[in-house]
Amino acid sequence: MASEAPLVETIANLLGLEGLLGEIVGGLLGAGLVATIALLFAAVAGPYMKRKITASFTDRIAVDRVGPYGVLTIVVDAVRLLTKELVIPENVDRPAWDLAPIIVAVSAILGFAVIPMGSGIHLADPDIGLVYVFAVSSLASLGLVSGGYASNNKYSMLGGLRAVAQNLAYEIPLVLTGASVVIFAGSLRMSEIVAAQAEPLISIAGITIPAWFGFVNPFAFGLFMAANLAEIGRNPFDLPEAPNDIVAGYQTEYSSVYFVLFYLGEFVHIFLGAGIITALFLGGPTAPITALNFIPGFVWFVIKVWGVFFFTQWFRSAIPRVRPDQLLDVGWKGMLELSFANLILTAVIIGVIV
Amino acid sequence: MSTQEEDESETDAVAPAGVDYDDIEGLIDEHVIDRETHLNAEAFVVRGDAVEDVLSTLKQEAGFDHLSSVTAQEYQDRYESIYHLRKYDDAQHEVSVVVPTPRDDPSHQTGSSVFSTANWHEREAYDLVGIQYEDHPDLRRILLPETWQGHPLSRDYDQDKPQIVTLEKHKNPIEDSLKVDETEEDLDTMFLNIGPHHPATHGVLHLKTVLDGEQVADVEPDIGYLHRCQEQMCEKSTFRHQIMPYPDRWDYTPAGILNEWSYARAAEDLAEIEVPEYAQVIRTMSGELTRISAHMLAVATFGLDIMGDFAAVFMYAMRDREVVMDILEDLTGQRMMYNYFRLGGVVWDLPEPREEFFEKIRDFLEGLPERLDEYHNILSQNELFQMRTVNTGYLAPDIAKDYGITGPIARASGVDYDLRRDDPYGYYENLDWDVVTAEGGDNYARLMVRMREVEESAKIIEQCIDILEDWPEDEREIQSNVPRSLKPDAGQEIYRAVEAPKGELGIYIRTDGTERPARFKIRGPSFVNLSPLHEMAEGELISDLIATIGSLDIVLAEVDR
Repeated sequence: MASEAPLVETIANLLGLEGLLGEIVGGLLGAGLVATIALLFAAVAGPYMKRKITASFTDRIAVDRVGPYGVLTIVVDAVRLLTKELVIPENVDRPAWDLAPIIVAVSAILGFAVIPMGSGIHLADPDIGLVYVFAVSSLASLGLVSGGYASNNKYSMLGGLRAVAQNLAYEIPLVLTGASVVIFAGSLRMSEIVAAQAEPLISIAGITIPAWFGFVNPFAFGLFMAANLAEIGRNPFDLPEAPNDIVAGYQTEYSSVYFVLFYLGEFVHIFLGAGIITALFLGGPTAPITALNFIPGFVWFVIKVWGVFFFTQWFRSAIPRVRPDQLLDVGWKGMLELSFANLILTAVIIGVIV
Repeated sequence: MSTQEEDESETDAVAPAGVDYDDIEGLIDEHVIDRETHLNAEAFVVRGDAVEDVLSTLKQEAGFDHLSSVTAQEYQDRYESIYHLRKYDDAQHEVSVVVPTPRDDPSHQTGSSVFSTANWHEREAYDLVGIQYEDHPDLRRILLPETWQGHPLSRDYDQDKPQIVTLEKHKNPIEDSLKVDETEEDLDTMFLNIGPHHPATHGVLHLKTVLDGEQVADVEPDIGYLHRCQEQMCEKSTFRHQIMPYPDRWDYTPAGILNEWSYARAAEDLAEIEVPEYAQVIRTMSGELTRISAHMLAVATFGLDIMGDFAAVFMYAMRDREVVMDILEDLTGQRMMYNYFRLGGVVWDLPEPREEFFEKIRDFLEGLPERLDEYHNILSQNELFQMRTVNTGYLAPDIAKDYGITGPIARASGVDYDLRRDDPYGYYENLDWDVVTAEGGDNYARLMVRMREVEESAKIIEQCIDILEDWPEDEREIQSNVPRSLKPDAGQEIYRAVEAPKGELGIYIRTDGTERPARFKIRGPSFVNLSPLHEMAEGELISDLIATIGSLDIVLAEVDR
């Protein structure tokens, strides 16, 4: 895998290391940095921003007791969750039961390796970046089904099965829609996809708007956003853990650290989805107006990713959850066809015009 | 606006226009042993082996198609079941069927082959009083655990005897249902306990569910987790003051004032207490306020069931309900357990300054249409929401009648039955409002009926405060004269019901000349409304089952009493 890894080189150069040693140390440190950013997002989102956003949708105040605006709730919650007793139910199928939360958390973090975060924070940039990120993020469903099955609980089992059915139904439209972007960009490499979006689309009164694929093909963008909601399991597609029908789905029997891993994995997954959307459709870490390019790319990346996160929380407050059969109907009979149509049309347009 | 012709809106129950009890007796002449006069209706005493015949004749030929309730009780010399019948078309047409049965062998024919609703009523009668119903399809205990010894409302029940159930017996109460029959059919299904601790059962409801995939193959509610012996507690309390606080604990959503009204109505008719008109208006106004708060909670939690636990509409409805609760707190001094009614009126007048109180209610009513629009916007007009609710949990009108369904659920199935209009009490007759019905019979229709009923309640409240505002200051009589200790004549029996938010909340009282009732039976609408759950949910998905429970809007405190 020929990889261009700006972050690794930067770190190695900073430390004055060269050759293999530099690559290993730089790689480890870079991975640490990227993982920390991903986990930081999840940590801020899970115990804090999620509550604040939902609260403002529902006319409440939410956490405001610890720290300014309640920010230190994050610390308090982390301590609370981690000091809880780890209840291991009888007859759970170990080690599958123990592996499930780890798979979920790890698969989400792995995906961040290829997400360009701007300001040079881009751990690895392989040729097949987009394929890689889809591949690792779909590993999570393995964790969900093994957790659901190993828990020896019928609700978990139903949740696990729902998760698999859902991911199967929605991953195909997701990947197909992603492929239509690849046709535009002509590459699977994340950095090239981002670079392709930096071209100016139109220039009005001196303000140049770049050719983000979200602007170029808004239809694919909408489709991808919807499929992504199913992929990350958020309303209206939050069936695998639908608390009103099946208690908490696959995570019913998990407590303490394992619960935190699931919870964290879920949020990292949302941000990974947001990262993919940002890279594919929102121009990655570039500014929406060329004139604003002086603001560091990482800032834009954070704004965009959190924007997508905000969008998922908005849906959570406002949109009803569909039924499993309706979910599959929408997936197989609606989204799949639409994404094929999108892919073919894009291919035809690109092939004929360009 | 005000009409003064009728001081007492309660009508004389016996023989309302159009009911000729002699004609009815003619239909079932061969089975009638005796005839009693209850305060609400004539009662025919029939033989224990003719119950089915009598009930089906009354249903088919005399049109009594609504079995309101079944009351069982034990006398010194006999057991007795009373079937309280009425008509869905005209709720004032009532008749009771009394079935005596000897003490040494308390058993008689079941009525459940004629009215499906009798199934649960008779199970309760068997459980608490101990009458055996022959040919009953499923005569098991319903409120008490299956291992319970004795029947608590029977005369020779020893309350001091401890209930000792060996561990062996209690090890796994559902063991039988867990046995897997090695036939193919059984291996295809999965038994699932939904509840008693589950996020969406609206309380401690346990549903024994058999799933085929995600499809519900069979569902059986297991109730009684919240049984608090309310009937017995009322029997141990005095009419005048001690019973009134209990109804607040039945439907605590909070519909307390309407629950209090059910007892007040029965006891006032029993003791011939007149209620001053001014108090009737206050009763009507406060009752409709609680109806709004109860329906708001129903809408809120239904939104929660459909959308998941971050539903914005839940908090919106709770916020608006909070205003109603504030108003009720101003009026009664309590947020949920009001204890506001007294026999013969209400406990105190509206809070001073009155203008401020009226202003507060008017402000709320003014903002209400906008609020309801918002709910419609979020819920009923949302396509996804419609996908989830339209044509799910369907209850056909004839099945609804068969199961004795009342309230918004019956009205959503097109059964036009509302006791406020059909069996008038309070001040409803003099006000301008409509009974809301819908044809859908599904979860969506039930939600819509509730939301439109909120509008009607608002109309009623608005008219009430107009009347109250103009009421001359020296005529504000809030209570009539009622003796300190109330001892109604012995041997009277009455069944009276009011339209609670969930449906017909009926009270049966028998007196024995003391200041306490000899029998106090509560017909909780939620109890009855839950019984046809299997009719609605079987064959649908588990998500629809949850939605159906939500749209039934049961309160377990009222189911289990």
